[in-house]
Amino acid sequence: MKVTQKDLLNIPKKALLKGHFACAGCGSALAFRHAIGSVADKVILVVPASCASVYQGGGKGASFNVPTINTAFAASDAVASGVQRAMKMKGKEDVKVVVWGGDGSGADIGIATEIGACDRQENILHVMYSNNVYGNTGGQRSGDTMIGAITATTPQGNTTPRKMVPFILMANNARYVATATVAYMEDLVTKFKKAISMEGFKFMQIDSPCPPNWRSDSADSIKIARLAVQTGIWPLFEWDRDTGQAIISRPSQKYVDKENRLPITDWSSLQGRTKSMTKEQLQNLEFDTDRQWSFLKKFL
Amino acid sequence: MTKLVVQFDKKSMTGNDAAAYAALYAKPKVIAVYPITPQTTIIEKLSQYVDEGKLDAEFVIVESEHSALAACMGAAWSGVRTFTATSSQGLLYMAENVFWSGYGRLPIVMPVVNRCLAPGWSIYQDLQDSMAFRDAGWIQIYTKNNQEVFDTVLQGFRIAEDKKIALPFMPCLDGFVISHTTAQVNLPNAEDSFNFVGEYSDPVIEVDTENPWIFGGLVGPEKFNKDRKDLMEAMERAKKKIVNMNKEFGEYFGRTYGNGLVEVYGDDVADLTIVSMGTIAEETQDAVDLLKEEGLSVNELRIRTFRPFPEKDIAEFAKKNNKFLVIDRSVSFGHDGQLRIETEAVLKRNNIDTPVEGRIMGLGGEDVPYTKITATAKEVLKE
Repeated sequence: MKVTQKDLLNIPKKALLKGHFACAGCGSALAFRHAIGSVADKVILVVPASCASVYQGGGKGASFNVPTINTAFAASDAVASGVQRAMKMKGKEDVKVVVWGGDGSGADIGIATEIGACDRQENILHVMYSNNVYGNTGGQRSGDTMIGAITATTPQGNTTPRKMVPFILMANNARYVATATVAYMEDLVTKFKKAISMEGFKFMQIDSPCPPNWRSDSADSIKIARLAVQTGIWPLFEWDRDTGQAIISRPSQKYVDKENRLPITDWSSLQGRTKSMTKEQLQNLEFDTDRQWSFLKKFL
Repeated sequence: MTKLVVQFDKKSMTGNDAAAYAALYAKPKVIAVYPITPQTTIIEKLSQYVDEGKLDAEFVIVESEHSALAACMGAAWSGVRTFTATSSQGLLYMAENVFWSGYGRLPIVMPVVNRCLAPGWSIYQDLQDSMAFRDAGWIQIYTKNNQEVFDTVLQGFRIAEDKKIALPFMPCLDGFVISHTTAQVNLPNAEDSFNFVGEYSDPVIEVDTENPWIFGGLVGPEKFNKDRKDLMEAMERAKKKIVNMNKEFGEYFGRTYGNGLVEVYGDDVADLTIVSMGTIAEETQDAVDLLKEEGLSVNELRIRTFRPFPEKDIAEFAKKNNKFLVIDRSVSFGHDGQLRIETEAVLKRNNIDTPVEGRIMGLGGEDVPYTKITATAKEVLKE
């Protein structure tokens, strides 16, 4: 079950073809290639308005090599429910239905639809790739934006704590909830394959660097994502309803103890959106990071 | 299909029951539901059928109307027959998906139980809700009574699911006056009804893992305009389909509604023609009879199909008639009643100089009895 580096080199299916429209250093496209590629021919994608509705390309230049349904911003989990129910009626329950969208839909406009599907225990997997902004519209603040981050609608830095979407879905009795990051791809694909093999509503949140909106060097995407884990900003964990327990994933285990975490400035200094954060903003981000951890620790 | 006239049970039922029976008999595979007055009893009936095992369908109890239509869209993309129903604010809450499913050519059947829009809060009928969606790429048929609700919902599946049409279908029924009023319906049995509708075996669209397609992805202006032109042409083809369906339905069930697009009541030529839709049109029939008894020459042109708009039929009728009185139960604020606006436009475009008068009546459940219609007709005749 555990995916190794060798497995990553042998992706069963080219899910993302050449010439896609994603920006250089895009975490979402990278995650897509490996995660969707790992499930070969058995997946139907439902994509809300998002960067993924653009980087899939169009017409003869389409780069998604899997059946894809594009939906309105807040509609994807309900459309996916309809697809999955129809597949059930057609006796095609081996087909997996995956929602692939950003945090604009997953944390904000589509969250009622998402919780609705979770509440009904629809047999779908929602992957929310988090670039912590409305990326496609030019980088406005979303509910998933970190404290202190400069966005197009928070030019002085965001002031509100992150909406903790994984915990919201745990509270709503999801079958499986996990966080992942493109910096640890084996961990990401292992979780993705595990999620997709389960019955019920599954949710994954993936830290997906976004060079244009994070104002970072596209060559630094993986480095920044790794630092998010090492500074404790991005805890990696999985939660299974059957056990009711959260498990801290290996790359994050060292950083459960705050003493071992790298300073947040290691992470923030590499991004234009965070590098000029004030002392107070850094403190607030640290406080919000601690808040996430203390919440998570209740489930350990 | 073999031609026969089927046997009926004479049953008393509400208009909503009639819609639920038609859905039951058409055997949709995915039904998504959300309550709203006065639609709710349709989905309550269906939940009962599914729970009792009378209907083998996935019954998705969603958290909003937006999701109800979205779930039906997912089912339609997957190539199965699908059904939902709504009203008023619920239809508005669905809005982006109403347009998405129309422009996306998804064959969904969704009765709209007409109810006015807030504020102020009122649950009574007018046509403001569905009229707000006349540009959404849905076929809209306005029914006049409980029987027509059953018949139209049944026809709807075949019209929507025709590969040459591939359009969502919105049968409209007046809230309470039809939805909650018990009247006699000649109900065919389940088998005859399903034989008429048939299996949805050759889907107009079907997501398939063997043959990956992207639905609703990026397009340039050229493809975009081609798609919209296709939609316009499908609407044109739908006119013919509705006429043929009406005829075929008549051969099978022994009942028709005019030519399917419009229905004439009274003499073919009169001094005044009353043009209207829905239950006001049914009430107008009584008004026409009464006026005739009084020696006045009045007939009726009921617009059954509002989208696609029956331009030719209206123009032809106007050509031989003397004056139109259009009664609207909805308003385009800043202009006029939509039916009047569109009727006048059709006459103008066809160089017909039959004068058109308009009245807006029955908003927010205001009663429009035949006495009011006769009084208005007399007033217009005097002018």
